Amino acid sequence: MACESCHGPGGKHAETTSADDILNPSKLAASRTDQICLKCHLNQPTQVGRIQGSHLKNQVSCTACHAVHKGAQALRPTRASAINEKCAHCHKSVWAKFQKPYKHRLPEGAMSCVDCHNPHGSVLPFQIRTVAADEPSCFRCHSDKRGPFVFEHPPMKTDGCGACHEPHGSANPRMLIRHEVRLVCLECHANIGVRNNIGGVPPAFHDLRSAQFQNCNVCHTKIHGSYVDAALER
Amino acid sequence: MRNILLLAFALPLMAQEPAATPTPAPAATQETAPAAAAATPTPAPEPAAPAATPADNWLTGTLDAGWRFTTGVAGDFNTYRSVVNLSSGPKLFGANFTIQPAKNRFVDRIDFSANSWGGDPYNTARVDARREGLYELHFDYRNIAYFNFLPSFADPGTVNRALPFLDQYGFDIARRTTDFRLDLFPGHRIVPYLAFSRNGGRGDGTIDYTVQSNEYTVPTDYSDYTNEYRAGVRFEFNHWHLTLEQGGYTSQNNQALRSGSPVPNPGNVLTPILGQQLFLTSGTEFYAVRGDGLFSRALFTANPVSWADISAQFLYSQPHMTANFAQANLGNFIDLAIPAFFGSESSVIDALAKQPHPAGSASVELKPWHGRLRILESWMTDQLHDSGSALLTDQLLLSKQGATGGTPLTLTALDMERFVATYNQQETELMFDVTPMLTLRGGYRYVWGDALAPASITVEGSTGAATETGQLRRSVGIGGVSFRSKTRFRATVDFEASPGDRSYFRTSLNDYQRARIMTRYTPVAGLEFTARFSVLNNQNPDPAIQYSLLARDNTLAVSWSPEKWKGLGLSGDYTRSTIHSNISYLVPNTFKGAISDYRENAHTATLLADMPSPHWAIAPKVSLGGSLFQSAGSRPARYYQPLARVAFPVGEHAQFYGEWRWYALSQPFYMYEGFRTHQFVTGIRWTM
Repeated sequence: MACESCHGPGGKHAETTSADDILNPSKLAASRTDQICLKCHLNQPTQVGRIQGSHLKNQVSCTACHAVHKGAQALRPTRASAINEKCAHCHKSVWAKFQKPYKHRLPEGAMSCVDCHNPHGSVLPFQIRTVAADEPSCFRCHSDKRGPFVFEHPPMKTDGCGACHEPHGSANPRMLIRHEVRLVCLECHANIGVRNNIGGVPPAFHDLRSAQFQNCNVCHTKIHGSYVDAALER
Repeated sequence: MRNILLLAFALPLMAQEPAATPTPAPAATQETAPAAAAATPTPAPEPAAPAATPADNWLTGTLDAGWRFTTGVAGDFNTYRSVVNLSSGPKLFGANFTIQPAKNRFVDRIDFSANSWGGDPYNTARVDARREGLYELHFDYRNIAYFNFLPSFADPGTVNRALPFLDQYGFDIARRTTDFRLDLFPGHRIVPYLAFSRNGGRGDGTIDYTVQSNEYTVPTDYSDYTNEYRAGVRFEFNHWHLTLEQGGYTSQNNQALRSGSPVPNPGNVLTPILGQQLFLTSGTEFYAVRGDGLFSRALFTANPVSWADISAQFLYSQPHMTANFAQANLGNFIDLAIPAFFGSESSVIDALAKQPHPAGSASVELKPWHGRLRILESWMTDQLHDSGSALLTDQLLLSKQGATGGTPLTLTALDMERFVATYNQQETELMFDVTPMLTLRGGYRYVWGDALAPASITVEGSTGAATETGQLRRSVGIGGVSFRSKTRFRATVDFEASPGDRSYFRTSLNDYQRARIMTRYTPVAGLEFTARFSVLNNQNPDPAIQYSLLARDNTLAVSWSPEKWKGLGLSGDYTRSTIHSNISYLVPNTFKGAISDYRENAHTATLLADMPSPHWAIAPKVSLGGSLFQSAGSRPARYYQPLARVAFPVGEHAQFYGEWRWYALSQPFYMYEGFRTHQFVTGIRWTM
């Protein structure tokens, strides 16, 4: 692989040494830059979701993240903190969520954004990385939630983990989207407005005035899915 | 083990002679320099400086090791471990080495990296080895501490004195992931490969032991693993690429609950029922789940002409699984359905499930008009079918009031359930470069699907159907503008809106608008301002639901590293975020309507300032900053993480550094869940 693979014919540039006489991919429109890189890198499995990826659509080219001439770490960073720094450069409001108390440990450098997201694209929403049999990357670490369970909690498959959790960070324990567990549950298990919605199951004997019933997963411990109990209690 | 590892890393360092080692050139430069010289048709080229050969720098890399001191945690230690979980002791913060043997028949290059070893909650190790054109070998290992015990999740009614105020669903698990991959003949037209990965977790925790309507918090053990095997072949031709893969997996998921406390465990039903106190004397529960499955995958990408890209993926997997459950307990319990008290219970459940799962996607990108117009068309489908059956055998020994003997009772039940969910999406987008600086984007996305799920309790007033169904229909309009000046300014606006009327859940995206604006301005070199605004408004106007969600994020950021003052740098951002969610629901025990209202008004700020070095003999680099999060609303919280860091060079290749951090969490509504701690880190970063 030579310089001209990316920079085009260099004869004139060699004579004049002028920057105007050579192609600089990092200064081209994103689509042109991508075309140059993808002459070689179109054969990666990650590229299958590229066209659906928001980086392509938002004019973010390969060179926005991969510095070609600045060493191996700049070209393809492997350290979690270095990867996070690159992503946070643009996704600042997302990075701010990681400053909340209940979050994945990205600020500590324990994880990186690409552990969960595939920046090149994915067939899943939000460019969620896929693992194993096309499952969301959440299950790479939380494999006990993967199943297949005999008794599924349907949001696990239809809306995904984000139906109940804020994976980037939350002020609520366990990264829940609400400050009390019962409210997370009752917003679907409400017995009203169930015409086209799943989850309209009323636990009518539950007395919410009792603390016992205020944290639903105190009893329904297998809330992600159970092998033995349709009520997800065991 | 950790000390041995540190010693192993230190040995090659001691063997090095840093003074005699030339500064390594980046590998990419070494590879491209001769080629560049060859491609440059200069009439009388200067004799090129001899490139550094692998023999000169066969070992390069960095080592970052030191010690972390924690002053002790004030407040709730379990919350600290659930949130931060960094411990004291010697640490290998990071190590990266590249070995390039001068002449070796079997290997050209070995890359090794390890991060966060020494008791930290996430340890990684990675080895990549390759011989050009012959093989590439990748090995990756991760060890994750997976800890969560939060007091606010405990039921105050529980009086298990052995576990006071602990989370009733807590866990302390070590999860290890190992990935191995071997590619043969990389760079050739046909590349076979083999891969293996294993993900396993082991640990303990607390969980509720449920007997009828009483819950007893007891210790539990967790153990699970998944082994995945894959083999495939990649066909890499000039205009098309195809990957065919066949794989399979086996998995186990085991759990054991044990209770044998010397005093009876009353659970959380403290008041006598029909004159008798319920309690658990001893109990055991075992889950043993075995699963396996095969999957086939095909990936295809093609670039038939310069103005078109095509890609497609298909995956079919067919997992099946068996589960066995056994429970035996002694004590005094009540079955309200009979109703009768019983002193012992023995249950056995056998279950199996099948879950065929086809998924596919296809995309086309057309770039007519010299690439100024791009047409993106994509389609995807994901169809999950899950059917399971379970057979229960339950034996009770009923108590006789006033008698020593009991009456045995055997119950059996067969349960069959089915879950089906489909998700389909079709999207068309057009992007047009009006000028080299301005791109317009517009499109349409249609999302549809159907779901069928078991209803474990039938809906009040319904016909008693055992299943519920859901439908998903969403038409989304997409728009966007991207503007970039040649050097200083860039702005991107994205907008999408949908008047959807059918979604799977009451809180799903329904009638929504989402917008995002991102701008970046660089007035002078070294100074950059960024502003980002995003909003999501989602409504479900159904009179029985009345769901409304409004979430906003506004961020301002600055990054300043002036060229004049070397070493001075400033990076900071401030985010104001608000969430307001409102939905009606039915209070189960009263059947009266109520409103669930959730609010969060949060300020988040981060700052890191690098101070210029004084002109001392040893010029230190000082950094100050940190982050804060402060919120008001439904669960107010304050979380502060200030930090100070100093680093100064020691010799030509080493840098000594020290860091202080303070972690402090307080929550006004949950005072007992706060913590505070100081942490000091000191170490040496050595570059070879």
